[in-house]
Amino acid sequence: MLPTKKLPLSGGSALATLLHVLVLFVIFGQIVYLASRYRLRFDTTSDSMYSLTESTSQIIGGLDKRLVIEAYLSPKADLPSQLRDTRTVLDNFLDELVQMGKGKVVVQRYNPLDDKAIQQKCERVGIKPIDAQSNTTSALEVRRHWQGLRLVYGGDRQKIIEQIAPTASTLAEAQITPAIKDVITREKKKLGFMEWPSEVTAAGGQPPRGIGWNSVRVMDAIARRYEFQNLKDAEGALIPDEIGILFLFRPKDLSDREKFVLDQFVMRGGTMVVLADVVDYSIGQKRTFSRTPMALDEKGSEWSFREQLLCYGIDLKDQIVADLDNRAFSPLNAIESYGFPTQLGMQSLRSGYPYFFHPQAFDWKQEADRLATRNGQKDVEAAADFKARFRPGIDSDEFLFQSFKKFGRAQCFYWPCWTDLRRGSAGIDLPAGVTGKVMLWSSPMALVEVPPANLDPFSGADVKDRGQKYADFIKKFDERLRSEPRLQAPLMVDLAGNFPSFFAGKPRPKKPSEIKEEEAAKKQAILREEEMEKAAEANPALVKDADKIAQLPDQKDADKITQGPPKQDAEGVTEAAQKDPLPMLAAKAPGRIVVIGDSDFLRDDFVRGEYQQIGGPASLYGALFFGVMLDWLSQDSDLMSLYAHQPIDRKLQLLAVDPGKIEDPRDSEKRLRSKTNVITAINVAIPCGLLCLLGAIVWLIRRAQKRAFLAAIGN
Amino acid sequence: MREVAVIFRRELKSYFVSPIAYVFGVLFLAVLLLLALILRFVPLDNGAQASLQGFFWLMPVVFLFFLPGLTMRLWAEERKTGTLELLMTFPVKIGHLILGKFCASLIYLAVVLALTLVLPATLSVYGNLDWGPVLGAYLATLLLASAYIATGMFWSSMTRDQIVALLLGLVTLLLLYALGFPMLLEWLAGSLPSWLLDLMNGISPYKYYESITRGVVDTRDIVYFTCFCGFFLHCNALVLQARRAKG
Repeated sequence: MLPTKKLPLSGGSALATLLHVLVLFVIFGQIVYLASRYRLRFDTTSDSMYSLTESTSQIIGGLDKRLVIEAYLSPKADLPSQLRDTRTVLDNFLDELVQMGKGKVVVQRYNPLDDKAIQQKCERVGIKPIDAQSNTTSALEVRRHWQGLRLVYGGDRQKIIEQIAPTASTLAEAQITPAIKDVITREKKKLGFMEWPSEVTAAGGQPPRGIGWNSVRVMDAIARRYEFQNLKDAEGALIPDEIGILFLFRPKDLSDREKFVLDQFVMRGGTMVVLADVVDYSIGQKRTFSRTPMALDEKGSEWSFREQLLCYGIDLKDQIVADLDNRAFSPLNAIESYGFPTQLGMQSLRSGYPYFFHPQAFDWKQEADRLATRNGQKDVEAAADFKARFRPGIDSDEFLFQSFKKFGRAQCFYWPCWTDLRRGSAGIDLPAGVTGKVMLWSSPMALVEVPPANLDPFSGADVKDRGQKYADFIKKFDERLRSEPRLQAPLMVDLAGNFPSFFAGKPRPKKPSEIKEEEAAKKQAILREEEMEKAAEANPALVKDADKIAQLPDQKDADKITQGPPKQDAEGVTEAAQKDPLPMLAAKAPGRIVVIGDSDFLRDDFVRGEYQQIGGPASLYGALFFGVMLDWLSQDSDLMSLYAHQPIDRKLQLLAVDPGKIEDPRDSEKRLRSKTNVITAINVAIPCGLLCLLGAIVWLIRRAQKRAFLAAIGN
Repeated sequence: MREVAVIFRRELKSYFVSPIAYVFGVLFLAVLLLLALILRFVPLDNGAQASLQGFFWLMPVVFLFFLPGLTMRLWAEERKTGTLELLMTFPVKIGHLILGKFCASLIYLAVVLALTLVLPATLSVYGNLDWGPVLGAYLATLLLASAYIATGMFWSSMTRDQIVALLLGLVTLLLLYALGFPMLLEWLAGSLPSWLLDLMNGISPYKYYESITRGVVDTRDIVYFTCFCGFFLHCNALVLQARRAKG
């Protein structure tokens, strides 16, 4: 590379040298250009953040037709700085897709900026322009750019990505790979749901919240692959056979007929997912949390839903859980925090609120020794007991939790309830043929209680008294922690197998129409009886016929479900009842039940951030959990590694946190400042000091050498 | 290569016996680390991410002002003191001379940079630091430093005056670095043709450095830095060759 001989040019003219340099420049330029065409990349990040996931290669590998990606892109040189970097990411991603597709993926690029016809095509297919501000030498202007994709699969199926501006390859992948999956998927999976939205009107003149669970269902990433069908039917019709998965969003006021419908769904092998709550709290004036009346069963219903779940092996207790572990209830993100109004607007309470917490991706056995130590003395027996009992917060290897394990915590729970497997004196006691597992646990610092009427941490106090009230609120927990045994609260269970029918040996609950018809029939019978009595009074010969009517079988008996062969239509069974197929009294196929002890984390106002506007938190990971859960339930693992492709949480923990102690934020701020100053000083002083030390050593050695040399000369 | 090793040892020794090198090193470290920590390029806060991205974003900016200072004396001083002529009479090839000096400067800088490893070590104590991108970023920093040293050496060979060499080096590096800056490219987009903007972006070390510091070691980036160094070292050799020819 370097000239070793006397170059003929070196003595020549300046022009020749200039030409030499130019040629060299061009040669090196060509080498770099070729290197950029044929390159090898090594992703050094431990979580492979810059590598495509297995999901993309799996989906691309499964293509049986050609996938054409029409890329409508303004030239890179014309893009403003904020879009230029995203183009580089997008270009790299598309190049990788083409390489991975081995001829099955083709990228066609169009420049809509200079061509009106292409612009019109963009409008026609649905690629939307991006208005971006550019600061050029001549003007500050807003220019229209295009950066969108149209995926065409097999010539007949297409998917549009209207705008795409990924700042990292993971984001490009998160947007494009599901779109590819969407375009190659023939049919949307049908899912059923029933929801019981709150009709609470918040106190203090605030608008009614009218919460539901619609947001997560209509999210683009979910709606394009799954179709939700509302199966909450006033008539109590059975769940259609095409529905394999049924979601119950906060079931409450359940009628016996609804319970029967759910039972029959499970008996035929359906998957029932229950997002259960046993309590609801409304936000009142001065930020109070007041308990709103809520019951699982409809007034006057004969059978209890809790009993029904218990029959299947699930113990849903009427208790809410608070988690006093600092890591569990401290929000990592401001939008996850519990807020309170001040004159400066809504301020977030960084210290957290123990009823809103995250199950931790942590094996609590490791904390057994610490929790068994009091006043410096370790209780060996308690430590052994804790080690035997404590479980990891996320106690499952299912892909549902892969990304959450990376985050270090599961989604947040809000006033969750105790959701466990049925237990007997000898431990877990599930029905024969059913297996189950608790998947999420609180920390061992959990406290469980019957939902109190008010859960306001400030007791409605004014700003100046809030600190004291909050301290009092926490103090009560501290006292309870000292006196109550350590336990982990179960929060989510998953059961599968041949469930027993809750309605075996019970009368089949009637449909509302049947009840109406019966009532009408009864009324008619009474009328008829009255008429006959009147007629009998007028003509005694008719009394014989009236006796015959009294001998008719009882309606209730006719409908009674027994294990024996189905009864023939009994006299008095209505037309509507005949439409119901014969009840299944034992499982026809293995079913599955998943119960999560909270529905708030998916609530519209939590997911959309509306709740945050009145001081509540926003559910940051609720939607992600729901999306992954759908794939998990439908055993679609194509996008699994994409979901799990999340950056590892690498948060600094400068101050040691005692999980059992709640500190004044001002004190912790002061401690943090002083720690930061020490770290800064150490990081500047050590390198500089080491270099000075090296200098001093070299100087001393040289001085010794010099003295030795002078001494040698003197000798 | 024995000649290169001899020159390399001589140059490296001259760095470590000179108090100026220590003053330079301490100043460089103090400015870099203080800026990074006080201006929160590395945010030390509970809950902040354990990442050195900000630190490595700052590094090229600090290099801009320090590396021309390190390289300005490499040839200019030899010319000023008259030792260059003496060097030229040695039975050593010019390429070996250049490589020896270049490697010595780079190793000296690597030693100084190694002292900044205290910072990632501290972060890894308080958080789960990903060492892959950090080591990748140190590699990127060394590659960028080698490019800057090659440029500085070239300008040092062009002039007898160290200050002129410093200023020329500073301006060249500033210009080269800025050429890849997205804001500048956007600003120039209205007045320059797009091929020229692409060329400017391609020449600048900015995008190649940024690409490696995020944690992806790409052969393209390594080839770029190798060619960049090769170009300026070759130009340096041309200049010295011309001087030797002049006598």
